[in-house]
Amino acid sequence: MRGYHDIGGSLSGPIPRTELPWLDWEKRVEAIRNLLGDSTRRVISLDEMRRGFESFGPEKYRKLSFYRRRLEAMIDILEEKGVLTRAELAAAVENSVQEPGET
Amino acid sequence: MAERDTTDPCPLPLRTAYTAQESLVVEDDAGNAEAARITTILEGMLVAKGLLAKGEADQEIEKIETPGLHLGARLVARAWVDPDFRNRLLADGKLAAAELGMKVGEAQLVVVENTPDVHNLIVCTLCSCYPRSILGQPPSWYISKTYRSRAVREPRTVLHEFGLDIPEAVRVRVHDSNADMRYLVLPMPPAETVGRHEIDLAGLVSRDMLIGTAVLQR
Amino acid sequence: MPLFHAGERIRVLDLGKAGHVRIPAYVRGHVGTVVQFCGVFLNPEDLAIGNAGGRVVGCYRVEFLQTDLWTDYSEYPDDTLVTEIYEHWMEPAHG
Repeated sequence: MRGYHDIGGSLSGPIPRTELPWLDWEKRVEAIRNLLGDSTRRVISLDEMRRGFESFGPEKYRKLSFYRRRLEAMIDILEEKGVLTRAELAAAVENSVQEPGET
Repeated sequence: MAERDTTDPCPLPLRTAYTAQESLVVEDDAGNAEAARITTILEGMLVAKGLLAKGEADQEIEKIETPGLHLGARLVARAWVDPDFRNRLLADGKLAAAELGMKVGEAQLVVVENTPDVHNLIVCTLCSCYPRSILGQPPSWYISKTYRSRAVREPRTVLHEFGLDIPEAVRVRVHDSNADMRYLVLPMPPAETVGRHEIDLAGLVSRDMLIGTAVLQR
Repeated sequence: MPLFHAGERIRVLDLGKAGHVRIPAYVRGHVGTVVQFCGVFLNPEDLAIGNAGGRVVGCYRVEFLQTDLWTDYSEYPDDTLVTEIYEHWMEPAHG
């Protein structure tokens, strides 16, 4: 019983050394998770988020960037808890794209 | 598909080779734009549902941007000049950091000391645990899959790739930060610390020294 | 009262649990030495499914010889690895 994230000792290959910038959306993902997990809300704990990206499948885990994984895990958990649905989110995203004047 | 090593009581697959791109997935412009759009919309929805206050995420971003190397370097510099502080830091990192006005947000900060006999290296194989409340964001290589995987199994080879060769007489001690503790390496001090200002000493400390992939040139 | 003490030899169990666990596969089944008791914590296995009302469990830092963990680690017999193990994943090891 070994999760696909449980990779201690199982990979070989180069360690990339390029430093990636920390982008605003990435900071925002972390900020939102921190807030949703605080003692006043307890909507998504760190452990739940981890369980999130440990459950969305090895393909997604392999393909997504670090912060995208966290964003997707958060959305999964929020849907699981009935806070929102992916469909609702997707519709809102699509509407925002169609109205380029909005910020 | 990798074969299983059946001589081990907990059989592990033989290793899978990853490219640098697979090890650390980097978003292209379109990916970043999409993620930014989703995040903004998500925040808006959470505000509309009363789970976040308007502007609260911006405030939290300011908070998480504040910690960084400078905090870790201060802890190290103080430990280098003050042996009693060093002992307190090694006994309870969170309490000692609080003496310098630093609030460790994680459960505990375990400070591990490099000595002439032991060199420490920190990794989180399962995700990317790192003392973020003190040091801020980990380096990109720290969250890469190949670092996470190889640091526990071939630490000396990994260190060699970072330009650090640990002599045979020094043992390498890897800490896999898999649960509630967070780790900081206390590097060996410069040959002379007497009469040197803490601020100057703090300036000698690099982020990689605090993880264990670099040492002070002594 | 922690069940295990610094210096004690323990074996990491393989509980065969599905879902979120924080015990890496590479240490399961291996024998190590307790370095320190870290305290009691809510079990991440419970927290991961939103159960914050479960029992707390003890957590320990346990040290392993690298030559025990990996069949191809032979050149540096004193090298070690330390990781955190929850009490319910541990049993005493003798000899």
